[in-house]
Amino acid sequence: MRKPLLVAALLVTTPFFAACTENAKDDGGKSADGRSVSVTSTDDECKVSTAKVPAGTVTFNVTNDGSQVTEFYLLGDDGLRIVAEVENVGPQLSRQLVVNAPAGTYFTACKPGMKGDGIRADFTVTKSGDEPTVSADDQQLVDTALANYSAYVQDQSDQLVAKTQEFVKLYKAGDDDAARTLYPEARTHWERIETVAESFGDLDPKTDAREADLEPGEKWTGWHRIEKDLWPELAKNYTPLTPQQRATYADDLMKNITTLDTRVQGLDYTVDQIANGSRGLLEEVASGKVTGEEEYWSHTDLWDFQANVDGARVGFEGLKPIVEQTNPALAKTLTTRFADLQKLLDAQKTATGFTFYDDLTPDEVQDLANAVNALSEPLSQLTAAVLS
Amino acid sequence: MLANYLIGLREGLEAALVVSILVAYLVKTKRRGLLPRIWFGVAIAVLVSLGFGFALFYGPRGLTFEAQETIGGTLSIVAVVFVTWMIFWMARAARSLSGELRGQIDDAAEGPWWGLVLVAIFAVGREGLETALFLWSATEAVSRDTDSTWQPLVGAALGIVTAVVLAYLLYRGAISINLSTFFTWTGGFLILVAGGVLSYGVHDLQEAGVLPGLHRLAWDVSDTIDPTTWYATLLKGIFNFSPATTVLEATVWVLYVVPVMFLFVRGARRRTSPPAPAPVHS
Repeated sequence: MRKPLLVAALLVTTPFFAACTENAKDDGGKSADGRSVSVTSTDDECKVSTAKVPAGTVTFNVTNDGSQVTEFYLLGDDGLRIVAEVENVGPQLSRQLVVNAPAGTYFTACKPGMKGDGIRADFTVTKSGDEPTVSADDQQLVDTALANYSAYVQDQSDQLVAKTQEFVKLYKAGDDDAARTLYPEARTHWERIETVAESFGDLDPKTDAREADLEPGEKWTGWHRIEKDLWPELAKNYTPLTPQQRATYADDLMKNITTLDTRVQGLDYTVDQIANGSRGLLEEVASGKVTGEEEYWSHTDLWDFQANVDGARVGFEGLKPIVEQTNPALAKTLTTRFADLQKLLDAQKTATGFTFYDDLTPDEVQDLANAVNALSEPLSQLTAAVLS
Repeated sequence: MLANYLIGLREGLEAALVVSILVAYLVKTKRRGLLPRIWFGVAIAVLVSLGFGFALFYGPRGLTFEAQETIGGTLSIVAVVFVTWMIFWMARAARSLSGELRGQIDDAAEGPWWGLVLVAIFAVGREGLETALFLWSATEAVSRDTDSTWQPLVGAALGIVTAVVLAYLLYRGAISINLSTFFTWTGGFLILVAGGVLSYGVHDLQEAGVLPGLHRLAWDVSDTIDPTTWYATLLKGIFNFSPATTVLEATVWVLYVVPVMFLFVRGARRRTSPPAPAPVHS
């Protein structure tokens, strides 16, 4: 029994020491001048000395002047991703939090009493010479990746506008068969850039909300409202929309898609946004498409599935030259896993598109889910790989 | 003061529980000779934590958030591996200890000498860095402003002392029960503790972004169980119970506790059941 224990001990202690050395290197002795932020947390306030710092190693000095234990968070622009946090700041104590923050928008949050969403405020990290992103040698790779991705999003957005125009025309004219055929194709362009489209918090619920996700009292509009009207078979006691109502919903969708297209033209990206977007698209697959929840009425989930995967792969492939320098093993794994997933999707391709979700066997769904999970895990390391 | 006390209590309990049961085990099986190994491990963990904490708090360089979370999460998972090993090591040793063999076990047969040292190091070191950072910041608060800010350090210290007292009481209780009861209860208890440590480690890695699903909550009872209360502190300190638990944490907990508990209970049954009658040829 000595040998297995020895092996186990070595296996488990090695990462610990690896983590230590890595950190020492990370800090690299960068000074925190101009990037020192003091935070004072009380029971009902969260005072942050500045809401804007240049990119680089930012130091938050968190002091708790309240009576309860507090926590301090730096959250990503979605308000969910934890960029950094310090927990267990007791009353009258100060703690330091050191973050390598790239340029972007963030939220700060104090959480007195350790529950709830915390007291939040906007926080901005501006571009500077000390970005923890990439070395000058790689700058060209980065520029190319950013330009390509921006072009891809704009192109998809253009096609989305064109296809949606055609779709609403057919739908308004009552040409339901043709509209049903076009529906998943038009949505493909939306799904390929879904993480970008979703970043506009006002447009996304109006365009892509599902009936099941509506808040009480919220009005249901957008793609899925029309979807139900085109595929009412599953609905109980469903009253079809009148031509007038159809026109209202169709015009509203078109208006929102046009607004999206206008906004997308002006967007700039960073490598970590692309990497996170790629991961986000795969998460969309796992949460909605592989479960058949997204296209509840039409069962055209696999179209969306493929489109999300397309978007994720384009994001990854743009970054691949960078990843191949920082983490060649990861680049290789991702390439293989994307191919494995695509093989499963190809098997479901038909002359007109894909198998409908309700025609898939439980085993096929399971295989797809497994392939998605196998891809998600390495994909979650992509951001770290492009920033290292 | 109370808030800092509760932090000390929680962190202290997390560190002291496993150690107290391990000590009770060695004392019960009359192997006090092995105790120095435990104290050696505890001392290493405390010194390393305090040293690291001092260096990070007063030194020119801090530890980045990612590194802190990764170290904490990894150590938690390593600690689970060791505690699980320990539970079954205790159970196996118990089998050979039945009857007159008790107390005559050759130390050398108990696995490498550093096995126990490592268990102690990980049990205490897991929360050590975080606690040390807390204590140093409390020390600084005291020296920064001497008129009234002695409370945080005293609060935290009293919390740790309470944790040690609780652990000692647990040890006394464990000492007074008979050996097979001891294994069944402490073993089962440690599996629950280890399950909590594991899901806590998973949560750390989720926060660090290494694992996904930070916002997919299985339940959120933080309105019913206020995290600042003493009972939430005890639940967290003993079982690492979090009022807001993610789906992944809950899943990992079940995947660990159910099979390990099954194997453990099966082993315990075998130990306590009377010898089976000799098989009869049919």
